[in-house]
Amino acid sequence: MKATARWLAEHWIAVASPIALLGLWEWASATGLLRAAFFPRPSTIAAHLGDLTLDGTLWSHTAITLARIGASFALAAGLGVAIGLAMGLWRGLRDGLDPVFAVVYPIPSVLFLPLVSFVVPAGEIALVVTSAVTSFFLIALTTTQGVRQIDRLVVEAALHYGARGRRLFTAVLLPGALPSIFTGLRLGLGFSLIVVVAVEIVSASRGLGALLWLSWQVLKVEDMYATFVVIALLGALLSYGLAALRTRLLPWVPDVGDR
Amino acid sequence: MAVLVPTAALILWELCSRLAIVSPRYFPAPTTIGWVLADRLAAGDLGSELAVTLTRLAFAFVLAAVPAIPLGLLMGIARPVRDLVEPYLAFIFPVPKITLLPFLLIILGVGEPAFVLTGSSSAFFQIVISTLGGVQTMDPRLLDVGRNYGAHGARLFWKVILPAALPAIFTGLRLGLGLALVTLVAVEFIAAKSGLGHLVFRHWQMLSTPEMYAAFALIGALGLVLTRGLRAVQARVLAWQDEIGV
Repeated sequence: MKATARWLAEHWIAVASPIALLGLWEWASATGLLRAAFFPRPSTIAAHLGDLTLDGTLWSHTAITLARIGASFALAAGLGVAIGLAMGLWRGLRDGLDPVFAVVYPIPSVLFLPLVSFVVPAGEIALVVTSAVTSFFLIALTTTQGVRQIDRLVVEAALHYGARGRRLFTAVLLPGALPSIFTGLRLGLGFSLIVVVAVEIVSASRGLGALLWLSWQVLKVEDMYATFVVIALLGALLSYGLAALRTRLLPWVPDVGDR
Repeated sequence: MAVLVPTAALILWELCSRLAIVSPRYFPAPTTIGWVLADRLAAGDLGSELAVTLTRLAFAFVLAAVPAIPLGLLMGIARPVRDLVEPYLAFIFPVPKITLLPFLLIILGVGEPAFVLTGSSSAFFQIVISTLGGVQTMDPRLLDVGRNYGAHGARLFWKVILPAALPAIFTGLRLGLGLALVTLVAVEFIAAKSGLGHLVFRHWQMLSTPEMYAAFALIGALGLVLTRGLRAVQARVLAWQDEIGV
């Protein structure tokens, strides 16, 4: 309690400013200073959010988006960690794949949709695979770096004590690379959300991205804002929730991406 | 290996496509794509789409960087400002910036300002956060030394804080430029009627795959040049500093 009170006393602006802004917004669009067609009152948006939640619309779209994020993240994480570890361990593979990664990685994932839809059946599978592309590269690259930055001395010490093959891998290399792998996974999960939503905008009829885009096309502005709030909550949950989870479950694993 | 593997992959692709092991309709041979790329570049229409994307990128980047750096610095040195802005930063930063597009489209209308600002927003938040991080993580001993030598106020800021934050600011600019490009190309793919992103979309719809791959290759090359180029500039300009961040 005391800690909370002290935090509030020091950071009251951080709490007061969003409340003040919402109040100002409410007042401005109620009096017509802001065009209510573009900036509906926060209370109206909240009411819409409540309606869409109660009639199940938001739940079903959110569930679809979450399932897609889960599937594409699992795909990206499995392949990314495996290939990243292999690239970290074998120099030849790393040298060979580096130029390929360098060219492909900066291309926005949405653009892979046409390419992916040539290879796998269009629809759900294409959507999930496309969303996995950027996360895959990110996770593979951070995992490779994780293996590469392990202290040479640690590896040599392990070799001197007779660790070889699988033992060297599970006892030294994997734990050494773990912080980077976690950072890659966290960033990759964030990217999965971004790309799933973007691909839903382009090519899906269900899911939060689709709901947002369709609401725009029929100019249901309140629904747009309500959907946006849900996407933002999802983003916050994925990025801050995962960071908190790691601190809780794996306190000894530092997050090298923390800045 | 760095030359061998990509070359081998390209040759394999070429053979598979020529021998129709994979459908050449969907996977045209790399040489075909190369010819189309050269042809379209010579004809000038690919170049003009590239110019459209680059112009949007330049506007988006400048519109992001110019307010973001001072804001990040101000947040770093003045806590009330940080408390004031941080809630919004924390709320918007994890959101896919492409979702801002429909809002900007209804507010500004369908057109360049909405496209550019969507790209700009993704760079803006990244640059603010990197800049803020640069000020927050600077070695406090530097501040102490600066103060001991009598630097206060503006002098402390220009001589100590800003130089210390510079590597982080540069990293923010580099990451921001990359994000702006990614977001812009996605916006072009989704909503615009010009630019490299739209080119991929249009040729996908028309199934003119060699042109699609040509645009694709150009986007990859652009991303590569921008990220590698800025990294080289950073290593040059800030040679005395280790890089901060990813």
